[in-house]
Amino acid sequence: MNYDSLMIHYGELSTKGENRKQFIRELNKNIRHAIKEFGCTVTNDHDHTYVKFPDDPMPIIDRLQKVSGIQRISLVYKSSRDIETLKKDALELIKLEEGKTFKVVAKRGDKTYPLDSHGVNVALAGMILRNTELKVDVHNPDIVLKADVRKDAVYLSSHTYYGAGGYPLGMNGKVMMMLSGGIDSPVAAYLLLRRGIRIECIHFAAPPYTSDAVIDKLTDIIKQLNVYQEDIKLNIIPFTKLQLAIYQNVPEPYCITIMRRMMYRLAEKLGKYHHCIGIANGESVGQVASQTLDSMITINNVTNFPVIRPLAVSDKVDIIKMAGNIGTFDISIRPYEDCCTIFKPKKPKTKPRIDECEFYESKFDWQTMIEECIHDVKSILVRDGEVVNFAEKEQQPS
Amino acid sequence: MIYFDNAATTSPLPEVLSLYMEKCQTVIGNSSSTHALGRKANRELDEARREILASFGLEKTHNLIFTSGATEGNNLSIKGVCKLYKNRGNKIIVSSVEHPSVTNVFKELEKEGFEVVYLPVNEEGKVLPSSLEEAMDNKTILVSIMGVNNEVGSINDMNALADIVHKYPKALFHSDLTQAVSKVKMPYNKIDMFTYSTHKIGGLRGDGALIYLKKIQFASLFDGGGQEGGFRSGTVDVPCALSHALAVKEAMKSMTRKIPHVKEIYDYLKEELGKLDEVSFNSPIDGSPFVLNISLKHKKASVILEALSEREIYVSSVSACSSKGEPISSVLLAMNRSEGDARNSLRLSFSESNTINEAQAFMKEFMDILERTINR
Repeated sequence: MNYDSLMIHYGELSTKGENRKQFIRELNKNIRHAIKEFGCTVTNDHDHTYVKFPDDPMPIIDRLQKVSGIQRISLVYKSSRDIETLKKDALELIKLEEGKTFKVVAKRGDKTYPLDSHGVNVALAGMILRNTELKVDVHNPDIVLKADVRKDAVYLSSHTYYGAGGYPLGMNGKVMMMLSGGIDSPVAAYLLLRRGIRIECIHFAAPPYTSDAVIDKLTDIIKQLNVYQEDIKLNIIPFTKLQLAIYQNVPEPYCITIMRRMMYRLAEKLGKYHHCIGIANGESVGQVASQTLDSMITINNVTNFPVIRPLAVSDKVDIIKMAGNIGTFDISIRPYEDCCTIFKPKKPKTKPRIDECEFYESKFDWQTMIEECIHDVKSILVRDGEVVNFAEKEQQPS
Repeated sequence: MIYFDNAATTSPLPEVLSLYMEKCQTVIGNSSSTHALGRKANRELDEARREILASFGLEKTHNLIFTSGATEGNNLSIKGVCKLYKNRGNKIIVSSVEHPSVTNVFKELEKEGFEVVYLPVNEEGKVLPSSLEEAMDNKTILVSIMGVNNEVGSINDMNALADIVHKYPKALFHSDLTQAVSKVKMPYNKIDMFTYSTHKIGGLRGDGALIYLKKIQFASLFDGGGQEGGFRSGTVDVPCALSHALAVKEAMKSMTRKIPHVKEIYDYLKEELGKLDEVSFNSPIDGSPFVLNISLKHKKASVILEALSEREIYVSSVSACSSKGEPISSVLLAMNRSEGDARNSLRLSFSESNTINEAQAFMKEFMDILERTINR
């Protein structure tokens, strides 16, 4: 005999009331999708989801650790409520483990069970002590054998793995993620996904000032994020004309601020078309001139969409570490320029004023150009690590 | 489409490609096998080798090793000679504007304890014979100087340089002739070892040769079945060698035809580009007509390259890209150009298949792009 199921402990669902069932349904759907090729059966009761697996659980656990909404994953054996069978099973299972000391932790969810949790502890530990060399250590045991007494059975487990946490993907709607190709934005995207928020990406391309190679870089980043969301759309906004207009009409210190305001307007407008209910980006307070709080209020003033900044208060070193963990760092540092690094004003305004921005914007017809940008957007869908189609205007190689 | 990046690679000639396809089907045996098919393949291989050497007029004096290209040839010849002849002396000399497949080999040997002299170049990108003369001594075992520079097209005076090296009996003269073969007249018989890649002259990609004086030996880089005289183990691609022979023969034969053709395009572009204040020339007046290198005064080269590429016009910028995404040409720096020039250069390189109409169309688009793009 050996462990044959995984018990999945839900994340922050304890805070949920009426819509709990909906959360579990969504999570189970995501779980089934993540492990579809392993031939597992997925069931659930009020508190947990169970995955019954045919042979090796490790690759399954590896996948499940990337599914948002899972707090912990325990490797379990479904034993009987009959105390004699339970004792025998506990003994068999602990023999599979390595170590010198152990501890039994019983949890009696079903209060009608004849033995209380201490009684279960004593019964199981007694059996193990009599039949093995193991000793009890309640403070630092090598093996922790958990016995979860439930209405249908008693679940035995001794291995627990941490999941990604958060909420099931899709439960919290979809946002338009501003993806530059740098280090921060992919990490921000990952944090959103982990929180159960679906993403669609928007990128501002300024050819010929940016290279086409940046699109390859972005699709490679999105391929890494596909682990958390199987299909992600990338919208590429042709930004050159608008950006040049800004540089012709706006004094240099205000260029970046107004460029960011235009980006927010575009993200909101495109987001509304695509049923997004917010904008997200990789901004971190104070990192650059356009990301000071004073700048943020001026830039943010153009939209009343919620703007989520998952990295708002993260340190760069932590962001880099996370980027390494999710596999986007090496892609992000490839040397291609994005439209923010191409026109670098010598002295960008760190405390731009809303009224001044509005004054400069009144001097040129950006509204038409925004319409053109939205009209000429090019979209790419990346599904399960592959570019599946160019939704709009397809690029024809010559 | 206008393809002005022929120094990077060219399309294989149709006859080379069809010969390759035909020979893949008819030459079946492994040239190392001892049965009749193997012997037949080996005869074809020897014939290809002889033909190539004959194209250079070297069938009596030199030998040839088939390689995957100039990079491998440079590694094999430079490392192979230094390892084998290090008891003769410890000093090796190289020009400061070589391709990385030469420069980096010398840097590696420097770490291993060789004394390396990096010869400066003048403002035209040429090695002065006098500076080589100064650097030479009895400890020198190897000198490597390229025939034609890949970035700017400067032509070195190979006759004079070879004569200086040969005053010292222990020293060998190596040259990377990748951009020179069939494009510029070279005194092949005076060069002890040279390398090239066939894809730059209408051959197949992943193919090249190291040609060397018969008396020279190398320490091998690979251990294996002892093919190619024991210097380059691995089954030889006989169909590829036959196509190689054809590509070299055709390229050498067409020299008298293609040089004036390319020169016309080169002269036209030089005259038209010379009218623009934005452009300064890095290629010397007497350089190879196959390479024209310019620097942009106010524009960013990478932006212009991208804009040209959008219009299906292909040129190249600085070849090596540093990790920070700020490429800079070490060749132009060695030629004493400013940092701005070295970061913003464009290389146009031509072949016989380019036309003067393409050059005219290029000028039109190039001027339009200059007008439309903002300064750096």
